[in-house]
Amino acid sequence: MVLIKRIPSPLLTNKFNQYLIVILVIALTALLCRPLYNQQGYYIVSFILLFVVSIMAVFLGIGPILVASTISSLVWNYFFIPPHFAFHIERTEDKLMFGSFFFIALINGVLTNRIRRQEELALEREERTNAIFELTRELSNSGSVSEILDVAFKDMRKFFDVSSFCFLKEKENAVEILARKGTENENSRVDYKIAEWVFKNTIKAGRFTDFYSETDLTYYPLTGKQMNPGVMAIEFKKPLSVENEIFWAGYLTQISNALEREHLSELALKARLLGESDRLYKTLFTLFSHEFRIPIATIMGASDTLLISPATDADRTQLTMEIFKASARLNHLVENLLNMSRLESGKISAHLDWCDINDLLNNVTKVLKQELQQFDMLSTIPADMPLVRLDFGLMEQVIYNLILNSCQYAPAGSTISFEAAYRDGNLVLVIEDNGPGFPSELLDRAFDKFFRVDSSKAGGLGLGLSIVKGLTEAHKGVVKVENLEKHGARFTITIPTSIPDMKNIDLEI
Amino acid sequence: MNESDLILIIDDEIQIRRLLEISLASNGYRTIFASEGKDGVTVAATYNPSLIILDLGLPDIDGLDLLVNLREWFTKPIIVLTVRNSEDDIISALDKGANDYLTKPFRSGELLARIRTAIRLSMEKTDSQILEFGSLSIDLVSHIVRKNEEIIRLTTTEFSLLSLLARNQGRVLTHQFLLKEIWGYSYLEQTQYLRVFIAQLRKKIEDNPSKPELLITESGIGYRFGN
Repeated sequence: MVLIKRIPSPLLTNKFNQYLIVILVIALTALLCRPLYNQQGYYIVSFILLFVVSIMAVFLGIGPILVASTISSLVWNYFFIPPHFAFHIERTEDKLMFGSFFFIALINGVLTNRIRRQEELALEREERTNAIFELTRELSNSGSVSEILDVAFKDMRKFFDVSSFCFLKEKENAVEILARKGTENENSRVDYKIAEWVFKNTIKAGRFTDFYSETDLTYYPLTGKQMNPGVMAIEFKKPLSVENEIFWAGYLTQISNALEREHLSELALKARLLGESDRLYKTLFTLFSHEFRIPIATIMGASDTLLISPATDADRTQLTMEIFKASARLNHLVENLLNMSRLESGKISAHLDWCDINDLLNNVTKVLKQELQQFDMLSTIPADMPLVRLDFGLMEQVIYNLILNSCQYAPAGSTISFEAAYRDGNLVLVIEDNGPGFPSELLDRAFDKFFRVDSSKAGGLGLGLSIVKGLTEAHKGVVKVENLEKHGARFTITIPTSIPDMKNIDLEI
Repeated sequence: MNESDLILIIDDEIQIRRLLEISLASNGYRTIFASEGKDGVTVAATYNPSLIILDLGLPDIDGLDLLVNLREWFTKPIIVLTVRNSEDDIISALDKGANDYLTKPFRSGELLARIRTAIRLSMEKTDSQILEFGSLSIDLVSHIVRKNEEIIRLTTTEFSLLSLLARNQGRVLTHQFLLKEIWGYSYLEQTQYLRVFIAQLRKKIEDNPSKPELLITESGIGYRFGN
């Protein structure tokens, strides 16, 4: 292929134009040499003609140069060597001069032309080297299939001025199909059928080939070591030379390799994720069967006993209480699961409204009355605590989960403290207990889903704290946990919030 | 209270219906059922129950649409049942004329209390001038509020808010409703007013303002005057 940018003007690309130029230039030179000839004689004219032929050899093809050499020698002979206006030459030295002129013009023209061709080829090679170098460099930085294709399209456009289209292998219902990719929007020009044929047979087809040659594009199979990523269609303007065919095969291999590498790393990622989800599934399965079975067993056992055996009133009450507690536990499990899935699906968004922290805490402690009976609940809310903008229902769950967590881990009779403050545009809530805290190496994982400290007596699905984190983040806040110096855990929630302008509120009305 | 009040339950869950039947019957109520919305309207029109318990999640029709449909002619109390975390549904149900709501799963004791309150409110014409709640008394005519026999000074707004909630004792009033009634339409978004005045009122009338028993917060919905 010819490097388009090396050719200066379309005037010179046309063979016919080149011959025309040759004739015109020589005619013009001969005309201009006429006055010179009158003063200096005809030898000087031969030098000028030789010079002009050499100059043209730099720009024109080999055919026109041969013609130029011939015409110039004939012109010199006809118009300048005596006798004038006749091809006949009288003097022997003039005959020799004419012969050497023709020979020199020919050799000079051909050599100059060859040097130019060599230089052109060297430049072309350099450009190709640059193209493949830039392609390789940019491909190594590409992290996705679309990036790889962008780089390839851009590179081909920049160095070779060709449009290209890519068909990538995709799987749909276990059948491999090709999907057209790329930024070129001239859809009508690509032929899916040819691409499919090329992909199946891994033989190039299309323009300048033996198959499907009645089309604008040449279709190359992209072949890799382990799989074939697809087909590349390129719009060449000329058939390729053998050297260029070899170059393009190498060039496309770079693209194939990059696509294959990307595809394989995607497969590896999928396999890893699959492995992880398999592990998660097993963990969950064990957890669920355990956590759900206990309350279900309690309910079935207790209600069965009530049905078949005559029980005393006290037993009856006791069994009914057990059923109630077990169902409350089931309810809690289901709620946590629902909340988690809502959080994960992004369906929870905070509806912010002015909230009174006293109200919030009071609502939670009311629900947790039973659990808190064994603890000393200490709350510190400043008398001038402003209203803050929160989602009341969501924050109730946050505080509920944290206090319940403390109730489950801290020893009976210990203190659970709740502290609220408004500092630097943030609501800060601190909840502390005197439980065992977290094993320091597990502190980072406290908010992970389904994470439970192994020795946990509390049971549950290990979702409470991850819900706390999710809901806090729904408020654009952060939650952190740390172990207290003595023993116990401290949870700190920081949520950016505004406070109302109280100047407008007249409490005396 | 009329102990043979007839209650219509519109719910498609057979277990819930059976449970409600037993717990309501053991508390002296008669029950009838409809498992679909369309039947619900027919049964309500035929038997004219004293109260309807309406599950918002029905198979054939959106519970809120059914509520609107019923409210066109049915004037007695309707209590809606919903699943958790559906504050928007609850608020729109209350706006569309539901008297009260319960989220599933609920405790039977809670449901019975709500039924009693709703029926009492629907029977009672508040002709009594003085409302009494334990140590608190509210004189609706002279605007005098007493706590443990002592007169409590309330601002005009505080009194309007307190008496509005107290007259609807046991019934949840939404933020929007309270803001509209006390401050007017242009204050519908200004919930900070409500929060501040409720906090003020609690300091004046509650035994322990940090553990209120009269002015109960219904999370995300509104306020209820405690029983």
